[in-house]
Amino acid sequence: MSAEAVSCTIKSPVALQIGDAVSDSSRPGVYITDITLAEPVNIQEISFKNYYTAYLTVRLQQREESSAKWVTCLRNYCLMDNPHAEAGSHDYFSIYRQQMLTEPDNVTTVRLILRQPSSEWLNFSIEEINIYSCAKEDSERDVPAWLSTLTPVEEPLDLNGLPDPETVSSSIQQMWALTEIMQASQTAASIGRFDRLARGQLSITEKQNIILNGILIETELLRDLYSTDREDLSGLC
Amino acid sequence: MAEKRRAGAVMSDSASAKCESDREFLSQAGVSALLRAALLKLVESRPEDPVGFLAEHFAHLSSEADDGGSEHQAVSRALWHLSLAHHSQRSAFNSNIRVAYELLTQCGRRQRGVGGVRGRLYTETLQCLCSEGGLSGTTAAPLLRRIQCHDFESVPFELFRQGVLTCSVFADYIRKSQCLYAAVASVPDRPAERTLCQAVLATLLEALETADGADVARYLEASAKISPAKVAQAMAEVHPGKQQDGPTMDAQEFEDAAAALFIARVRMVT
Repeated sequence: MSAEAVSCTIKSPVALQIGDAVSDSSRPGVYITDITLAEPVNIQEISFKNYYTAYLTVRLQQREESSAKWVTCLRNYCLMDNPHAEAGSHDYFSIYRQQMLTEPDNVTTVRLILRQPSSEWLNFSIEEINIYSCAKEDSERDVPAWLSTLTPVEEPLDLNGLPDPETVSSSIQQMWALTEIMQASQTAASIGRFDRLARGQLSITEKQNIILNGILIETELLRDLYSTDREDLSGLC
Repeated sequence: MAEKRRAGAVMSDSASAKCESDREFLSQAGVSALLRAALLKLVESRPEDPVGFLAEHFAHLSSEADDGGSEHQAVSRALWHLSLAHHSQRSAFNSNIRVAYELLTQCGRRQRGVGGVRGRLYTETLQCLCSEGGLSGTTAAPLLRRIQCHDFESVPFELFRQGVLTCSVFADYIRKSQCLYAAVASVPDRPAERTLCQAVLATLLEALETADGADVARYLEASAKISPAKVAQAMAEVHPGKQQDGPTMDAQEFEDAAAALFIARVRMVT
C-alpha cells in the first residue's frame, strides 16, 4: 500500500436539480464531484471523510486503447444507515479495490455522486478525499539482512564436542545487556576543571598543580577571577 | 507544677499511668521514626544477615551524629550505602548513590560553597567498589584509568553516579565473563580452545558494534546476532570435527579480552 496519495484535482460539487437552479429555493439532494488524475492510475484505495452524505456512487473513466469509457464501480454505497439520523454523518471511510465492481485500472477521472434524500440537513458533502495507487512490486523498504536469517538452518549442525550453544548464548546476551546499560547511562557531564575557580578558593599548591599540568592561563583571566584576592596572585606570577 | 503532676499520676490507675509515660517517652526520643527508617532500609536491601545489617545501620547513624569523623570513615559509610541495593534495582540504587554523594561532599574540610566530591575521595570510592565487587587490581586498573580524575578536581553528581554505576556493572560483567569461559571450556579441568574463545568473543563484539539507529531496531538486530543458532553456527565454523589438540586460552586471558571489549566503550572522563 502506497503511503502517499496520488495527486489529483477535485472540482467543486455540482448540484443536480429539477428546474431552474436560481429560482428554485429547495435544497438539492444530489451532488456530483469530479476528480481528475494527472496520469492513469491503478487505484488501490479511495479514502474520505463524510459530512452528512447518505449514499455514494462512484464512477470511473478508464482509458482503454483508444477510447475512454465510464464504468460504475460502486453503486449506492450506504454511508449513513438512517439518512435522518446522525450515525455515520462524520465518519471516515475507505473504499478498497476489492469492494469495487470492476478493476479500477488505468483510471483517468473519478466521479463521485453523493445523495442525501433527507431534508433535515442544510448541506452535505465529502471531504479530505485521497486516492492511493497500487504499490509497486519493488518497494524501497528492504527487509534487513538480519531478519532474513532468523529462521534456523534446515540441517542440524554437528555439535559434537562443542559447548552448549544455549548457555553460551545466554551468557553473551547478559554481557551484551550489561554493556548496553553502561553505555546508556553515560552522560555528557564533565568535571569542569575550572568550576572551582571561585573567588580565592584554591590553595597555592592547587594553582601550581594547574600550571604544572601544562595548562596555559592568562594572567589577565586570573586577575578577573581573583579580583578580591590580589595577594594570591603573588604566588603565581 | 511537677509535683502536682506526679501526685496526679499516683492517684490514677497505675497501669494506665505507666503506659502513658512509656508512650510519651518514646515520642520524645523520636524512636519510632528511627525504627521505621531502619525497617524500611532493611526491607529495601534484604540482606542475608538482618541483625548484622541493623547493627551496621545504627553504628553509622551514631557516627554520623558525631558530626564528621575522618575521611576514611566517610568513604566506608558511603560504600556501605552503595552496597545496599544492586544496580538493577534502579530507583533504590539511585537514592543510595545520592546519599553517598551527600556524605562524601560534606566530609573533610569545610568547602566554602563549592559543590561536588573531591577527586581523591571519588577515586578511592571507585577503587573500593571494584575490590568489593570481586575485581582484582589488574582487571580494574584500565577501567579506573578511564574514569578517574585528579585529586584536586571536583566531581559533580552526574559524573559520580556514572562512575559508581560503571564500576558495579563492570563487576557483574566480569563475573558473567567467567561463567561464559566455564561454558565454553565445557570440561572443568581443561582450558578452553583458543579458536572457540575467539569466535565467542567475536560474536559479542559484532553485537556490540551494531550500527546506530533507533534503539529498538538496534536491540533487535544485536540480539539476532547472539541467538543460540547464530552462536552454534559461529562455533561450528571454527571447530569442525573433534580436534582437541588446538592451542588453548586460559581463564585470565579470556577475562582480559572480555574486559577490553567493555572498557573500550566506557567514555573517558574529561
